[in-house]
Amino acid sequence: MGTGRPEELGDETLVTLAQKGEHKAFEELVERYKQKAYRIAFDFTRDREEAKDLSQEAFLRAFTHLNGFDQRASFYTWFYRILVNLCLDYRRRGQRVSWQPFEEHDGKTAEKNEIANPGPSPDREAMSGEISRKIGAALNSLPPKQRTAFVLKNHEGLSIREIAKIMQTAEGTVKTHIHRAVLALRQSLAELV
Amino acid sequence: MTDMSSIQKACKNYEQDLVLHYYGESSPEERERIQAHLQGCPSCSRFLDELRTVLPLTVKADEPPESFWESYSRELRQRLMTAREKNAWWEGIFSFLRPWTVPTLATAVVLILAVTLTLTRGTWHTRDLPPKEEALLEVLPIAENLEFYTSMDFLDSLDLLEDMGGADSGSA
Repeated sequence: MGTGRPEELGDETLVTLAQKGEHKAFEELVERYKQKAYRIAFDFTRDREEAKDLSQEAFLRAFTHLNGFDQRASFYTWFYRILVNLCLDYRRRGQRVSWQPFEEHDGKTAEKNEIANPGPSPDREAMSGEISRKIGAALNSLPPKQRTAFVLKNHEGLSIREIAKIMQTAEGTVKTHIHRAVLALRQSLAELV
Repeated sequence: MTDMSSIQKACKNYEQDLVLHYYGESSPEERERIQAHLQGCPSCSRFLDELRTVLPLTVKADEPPESFWESYSRELRQRLMTAREKNAWWEGIFSFLRPWTVPTLATAVVLILAVTLTLTRGTWHTRDLPPKEEALLEVLPIAENLEFYTSMDFLDSLDLLEDMGGADSGSA
């Protein structure tokens, strides 16, 4: 790449270079957004493997359609839109993964952690697992748009304006979605207060 | 379990503002207005406190180990490479089917067909059948309908007999 080190370039330049066939430019965009993409996908799936697959699929789709991206929106808005749509499709297909603590999912990690640190008592662990399950169920019960707006605000800290762009809706609608999601969660999780 | 009726309710016209205030999404003027309201409204203050307790609980960030990210990047690079190869293959086809190639190919095919037909015109002929087979082909449909014609003849004879019978009875 003749215009400098990829990590020093802005998203716009990287997109332009990637559109011209510079593979390294797109790989830099992946490095830049992979953790955030994974986190959003994880917020929807609560499963490490599913989140990995969904976020990777979003990058693949972005790569395939990159030439059609006219840069009127920022790359991450466009990319998050692809990702969120994939996550919503995932939910629509009904592949709801139960909320599991990671230690249960990844046996090796659990084993390693146990050796390094005896951890909380079984009672406390069970209680924390129960709380996690309740929170997962409460999030799962939200309608897709409410959940999307809530996750992007509460978990990712995006602004209402950014969320509106990603969801291609009015800012007022995003505010309503967040408000309703918060009230529903508060109701579902009242016993935790 | 907490009774649902014990959930702290905020003033209806402040509820959404308080949620947005919690997320730092209110304008300076709104913030001032909400702060002033909170000072005189214990219900709304309690509602906001509950949001501060409940909402952070819903965030469960996953922190995968470094090895996960290494395999993530490696896998994705592999998938991207496959996508690139697939794209290159399609691009190859599309570059072959550029706008000018389609009419050119079509013209060439028409020309080849025209030349072939012109040059081989003399050798084109219908298959001559021997006279016996030709006669048989003509007779076959008639033979197929023979039964029909026979029944028609029979009906004609019946009509004739009927007429004759009628004439006899008339004369009698």
